[in-house]
Amino acid sequence: MADNLHDSHNNRLFNPEALAKIARQKEEWSGTEYSAKPERLGRFTTLSGLPIEALYTPLNVAELDYLDHLGFPGEEPFIRGVHRNMYRGRTWTQRQLAGFGPAEETNKRYKFLLEAGANGINGVFDYPTLRGYDSNDPRAYADAGRGGVAIDTIEDMTALFDGIPIDKVSTSLVTCQPVCNITVQSMYFANAQARGVALDQLQGTSQNDFLMETAVTIAPEVLPPKASFKLSCDAIEYCSKNAKQWNPISFAGYNYREAGCNAIQEIGFVIAYAMACCEEMLKRGLGIDDFAPRLSFFFSGQSDFFEEIAKYRAARRLWARLLKGRYDPKNPRSLILRFHVQTAGVALTAQQPLNNIARSAYHALSAVLGGAQSVHVDGYDEALCTPTELSSLTALRTQQILQLETRVTHTVDPLAGSYFLESLTNQLELKITDLLDEIDGLGGIVKAVQDGWVHRQISDSAYEHQLAVDTGEIPLVGVNCFQMSEETCPVDLFEVPETLAVQEAKLKSIRASRNARAAGKALDNIARACESDGNLMEVLVESVKARVSEGEITEVLKKCYGTWNPPLF
Amino acid sequence: MSRDKKIRILIAKPGLDGHDRGAKVVARALSNAGMEVIYSGLHQTADQIVNTAMDEDVDAIGVSVLSGAHNTVFARIMFLLQEKEMSEVVVVGGGSIPKKDWPGLYSKGVARIFPPGTDTNQIVDYIQNVVNK
Repeated sequence: MADNLHDSHNNRLFNPEALAKIARQKEEWSGTEYSAKPERLGRFTTLSGLPIEALYTPLNVAELDYLDHLGFPGEEPFIRGVHRNMYRGRTWTQRQLAGFGPAEETNKRYKFLLEAGANGINGVFDYPTLRGYDSNDPRAYADAGRGGVAIDTIEDMTALFDGIPIDKVSTSLVTCQPVCNITVQSMYFANAQARGVALDQLQGTSQNDFLMETAVTIAPEVLPPKASFKLSCDAIEYCSKNAKQWNPISFAGYNYREAGCNAIQEIGFVIAYAMACCEEMLKRGLGIDDFAPRLSFFFSGQSDFFEEIAKYRAARRLWARLLKGRYDPKNPRSLILRFHVQTAGVALTAQQPLNNIARSAYHALSAVLGGAQSVHVDGYDEALCTPTELSSLTALRTQQILQLETRVTHTVDPLAGSYFLESLTNQLELKITDLLDEIDGLGGIVKAVQDGWVHRQISDSAYEHQLAVDTGEIPLVGVNCFQMSEETCPVDLFEVPETLAVQEAKLKSIRASRNARAAGKALDNIARACESDGNLMEVLVESVKARVSEGEITEVLKKCYGTWNPPLF
Repeated sequence: MSRDKKIRILIAKPGLDGHDRGAKVVARALSNAGMEVIYSGLHQTADQIVNTAMDEDVDAIGVSVLSGAHNTVFARIMFLLQEKEMSEVVVVGGGSIPKKDWPGLYSKGVARIFPPGTDTNQIVDYIQNVVNK
């Protein structure tokens, strides 16, 4: 049974005689039916469809070569962990998402979470901001302050981080779309400069994911894929030169997963995109070691416990092998796949919401057993509303209990060597590799997006999943089993504070008081940078200081690059 | 039980909410059940939704909102439908719409809200029954 990508004969753990003996005795054991109950299911599989056997033995990993296939944490192939002693040395960053209403309101939630023990900021932005619109854009009328914080100008950014030690705390800016990231991150940097913090001092991450803009949550009149990809790469290039501790991109497998793809596709799309970025950076004249150490990843923590752990480990090993094979970096850090996990929102239910605390705890546990660098646990009210203080706090406590009480952090990669886990890891790695070959065959990820192929993969997976939930093949407690006919909601729901009126007043005041000429010049500079193919982040970090709004900037970008209407399915 | 004409339904995503997984899954389920489904795509204004409904001569509109903006959005859509004398169009909704908001929506004329976790067969059956009335 082929269970390894790289067949090495040198240091196999299991000796052939022992394996043969195990095989014989397993055969005998399989014949002893008297104590076996009839199987509950016709087929046992992982969520992505990989078959799960009744029992795993050394036979499933017969060719396991410890040094070549597993090795040591902090060394190639990094499957056992990105750092030598992982959580024994330092816990994962516990950063809970926060974002709603005007910046002043979210600022309070940031402080609340930091005081409760969170050790990172995880900032989400509202729907208008994510798409590059101002809060008072006619299209934004119902959405200002929803899904995240409203950021229109640098003044909002200043208010958002007021009193937060940005020179010490790691900040994740969940700027999903590059059109958002290019402006919002520039505002963050400009604000840091205004506060006297050097960009090289800042620690944090931007999402900046072009697949989010063009293949997931696809909307009309977005920037064309090539332009979106360019903006994303501009940010990576800018940070590699000016903000060396910043992770300028977080390849967001989480979002593709939430949209419906499975674990194999989640990693496959992410790695295909990450490799495309590498190619682009090299084309721009950077060396692999100039940017690869700061590429970061963002995965979902879904419900299939072991598949998720295997997924994280397979991703680490595959990434290290691919980068080594293709680019042979000098800096070992270029081979390391570091990732943040958000526990899966789509796995949580509106029915009996307190059940979600249990679900998220399992999701978080698998993330930690999989070696995540940073975790956000979804609130129990995920399917109902923006998280309340209480649900955010409960989620944070879930992390703290996991970290402090379970002792799973006392050793590195505790599940390594499990016959089941290593076999599953190998299988996932093979499947992901097949998918990468398929994407290559289609002309690469950017083309696959343009042609609608990625959209169809995600749609198909989402639909198959729903069918399986409808039939009960995938059980969902409280939804297709153990439903309660009468349910009263046991939790308070969050109400987003008034945002549109607040932001409208701010924008009015800013437009009246800013230097109109400087603002006009700033927008001109952006247009010229677009035309001359210059690095847009370089220009924007300066432009935003003239208090131009995100909407004004986006309008210039769309005028220069045009817009794209993506395929509907 | 079956009509001569296929049921025509518009699945719409109003506002800047980007969550479209549910809308697309429901659209496909309805299509597989034999209905003519028009999917609006994201970022539709209430005006666009109602105009599309009119142009496409739909029997029903399914509105998906996961941004929390449902009260505002439905109010606008129902108002426009009434204004254009399209009140016979059945309006259903889905998304992260808490139960406490359903009475308000129903009082505006929304026929039914399907929360996350609703079996797609239930949605198909409901639409088929209510449109055939």
